[in-house]
Order: sequence, then structure tokens, then C-alpha cells
Amino acid sequence: MHCKELESVLEAEGLAQLSKDARLHLATCGACQGYVADLNTIITAAKTLPTEVNPPDRIWISLRAQLEAEGLIKEPVEVAERFSWWEGFGAWLKPRTLAAATVAAFVLATAIYVTRVPRNNPPEAAKNQPRVETLSPAQTQAGVSVQPSSVPPANSGPSPAPVPSKNNKELAPSPSESASFTLDQAELDVPNMQLAGNSQVDIALRQNLRTLNAFIAECELHLKQNPQDELAREYLNTAYQQKADLLAAMMEGGRGDN
Amino acid sequence: MTEAEAIRLAQAGNAAAFEFLYQLHGRRVYALCLRMVGNPADAEDLMQEAFLQLFRKIATFRGESAFSTWLHRMTVNVVLMRLRKKSLPTDSLEETMEPDAENSGPKRDVGAPDLRLAGAVDRVNLERSIEQLPPGYRTVFVLHDVQGYEHNEIADIMGCSVGNSKSQLHKARTRLRELLQEEIRQQAREERKAAKTPTGSLE
Repeated sequence: MHCKELESVLEAEGLAQLSKDARLHLATCGACQGYVADLNTIITAAKTLPTEVNPPDRIWISLRAQLEAEGLIKEPVEVAERFSWWEGFGAWLKPRTLAAATVAAFVLATAIYVTRVPRNNPPEAAKNQPRVETLSPAQTQAGVSVQPSSVPPANSGPSPAPVPSKNNKELAPSPSESASFTLDQAELDVPNMQLAGNSQVDIALRQNLRTLNAFIAECELHLKQNPQDELAREYLNTAYQQKADLLAAMMEGGRGDN
Repeated sequence: MTEAEAIRLAQAGNAAAFEFLYQLHGRRVYALCLRMVGNPADAEDLMQEAFLQLFRKIATFRGESAFSTWLHRMTVNVVLMRLRKKSLPTDSLEETMEPDAENSGPKRDVGAPDLRLAGAVDRVNLERSIEQLPPGYRTVFVLHDVQGYEHNEIADIMGCSVGNSKSQLHKARTRLRELLQEEIRQQAREERKAAKTPTGSLE
């Protein structure tokens, strides 16, 4: 095989699978070896080029306007808004600055709930839960074992998060349910506190809380129907964190005015 | 929402479905337009035009081919039409799209010493060289070696035969090799020139 013949083979079949004659020629021809090596270098370099590039947002905006002008968009946007509201809320929940604030705010909200619980009557279900009796140092040294008791010890610390269940035989609540209950309890304090009057910030915070509660309710309903939807679960957990952040911000504003 | 559902809804005029399809395919289409024309302004116009044509005709889509193939076919047609209108003297679409034994594109100078490309090709000089390819070569190269389409898909997109697609690809690669070798030689000349300049002289 000659060099020109090899080139014809490459043109017709590419580089993937060369015939025996082509390989024999390559083994003996330095120029063709270099040629094939260069083509492979180009192919390898081409594979590193990005196959996708983000277009500017204005393209879709302009395109959508054109579609509406031509009447190609016909249906009302109720379904679209619901779809895009979900997506839009997901985008709202993503910013890293909010994520950084929610971690501390969630801890704050939990601390508020934990310190608040002894002032209120514990939920009915919690009374039916077995409590562990705290041992005094003397009892510990004597090796007294702890038995479950329905009578809470006198000096017991804050009780664990009460279980919002009607029946002792039911399983312990999921982390989501516990978080939801914790936040709902914290939210009860909000109307009782003097917030920052009727400022724009205050109005916006209340509006955000209403929107967030509606989103949480929708997520919870969706998860009941689709318990395997991990994306919705992730959104719900993030929404709980956002609510903790929001409640913390509202309480902070109220304490400032007292 | 799946692509099939979005197509069905878009055929009924649903706005969210249009947006879904745009978001699903837009980045690849934009990348293709950008590589074909080399500047963002033209690429944006072409992308918008391609999607407009797609959405105007979406009611006629029956699913005989993959939706992405159909979209890319429209995109390539839009791009080539624009390039044809510009009609640069050095870019001959007919030459590049029709195999011709007389004018079969770049020829390798058999036996001549070649400059090796290994280690010398980077993304910048490759992109620059791709821009210099004739439109037909450029299309096939971008679709195959960059975007990863197979020859039968490229043949469908460009309305040519599989054999023609393979031939154009090989010619594109050979031409790129020449362009890259020239670029590397030019860089080497400039480096030698810079090295010869006495230290401290004003240039």
C-alpha cells in the first residue's frame, strides 16, 4: 500500500479500524505515522471543547415575546405558573448566602423552642411517653438501674421534643415532621411579640412567611402523594430551614423594639 | 416533565413546554451556532431563528426522527443559509459539500517533512483554526468530533450520504492539521524574532 492509498482508506473509513494493509504501511512509513498521529491529536483536542454554552437570558425573553406575538403560545399560564413557581422557589432557596444563614438560624429557632417548652403545657401525647428517671450521684454509685417512670423527676431538664402522635403504638415521627412541629410552635410566638411596627420590612417578612407556609403545605401534600420524590423532600427540608431563618429574623426585630 | 410530554404540550401552545424544550436543547444549539459563525451576536440571532422555526413547525413533528436531530437539522440549515447569504469569496459551500475528484479539498503533501502537533494543540488555537474552515467542513467537524454525532445522524442533519459525511470529516481534519501547523510555525517565527531582539532595545 502507498501513502495515497492509505489516505483514501482514511477518507472512506476513518481512523477507527484500519485494515491489515493499512496497518502494515503505517508500521513502515514515518510520514504517515506522523500524519495519523496528528489527526488523533486533533480529534483528542476536539473532544475537550465544550459541547454546551450558556446562551444569554435575553434570547429566551425575545423568543417568548415573538411566540406570543405570533399566537403560538395559546394556553393560559396557570399550569405554567405552578410549574415555574415551584422551579422559581427552588431557585430562591439555592443562594449560598441564605444557606449559610439558615444553619445558624435553625439552631437559634430550635434553641428558642427548647427554652420555651417548660413555660407551656406539654402536648397531650408527650405525657404518655415514658420518661427516664434521672439518677442522683448516690444512686449511680449504688448501681441503681434506671426504670421508665410515668412521673417526671423533679429536677429533670428540658424534655425531648414532644411527639405529635395520638397513639403510643405509632412510630416516632420523621425528622421532617419534628422540624415542622418545632417551627409551628416557634411561629406561635410571632404574633405575640411586638414586631417592627408596620414598616416595609415587617410587611415583607409577614408576606414571606405566608408564602413560605403555603409552599411548605404544598410540598407536604405532594410528598404524601409521592413519598419517593426526593427533589420535593429536599425542597421541603430547605423550606423548613428558610422558615427558621425567617422566624429568627422576625423575633429579632420584635426583641429590638421591646 | 419528559421531552415527549413537553412536545405534546408545546404542540398545544403551552408556554412552559416551550421553555422546557428551549432549556433542554438551548445550550447545545448555542454552542453549535457559536462555533459555526465565530461571534456571539450572530450566534444569538441564529439560535433565536432556529428555535422560532422549530416552534412554528412543531405541530408537524411526528417523531420519525429524534427531536434533537430535527432541531439540529434546522439549526444547521439556518446557519448555512446565513453563511450563504454572506457569501464570502473564500468560502465555497458547493466545493465542500460535493465530493469531487478534481477539487477534493486539501491534499497531503506526501513525503514532505511535517511538523508534529502533539503537545502543541490547545483549545485556543484549535478554536481559531476551526473558524477558518470552510462552512461545510466546519459543520461536519463540529457535529462529529466536538458534538459527538455519528455519521448517519450527520447525514440526516445535513441531507447528505454517510460516505459524504466521512469524506468531509477527513478533509476537515486534514485542513485543520495544515492550519494548526501554520499557526505553530508562525508562533515559532515570532518567538525566534523576539529572541533575536537585543535586551533593552525599544520594539
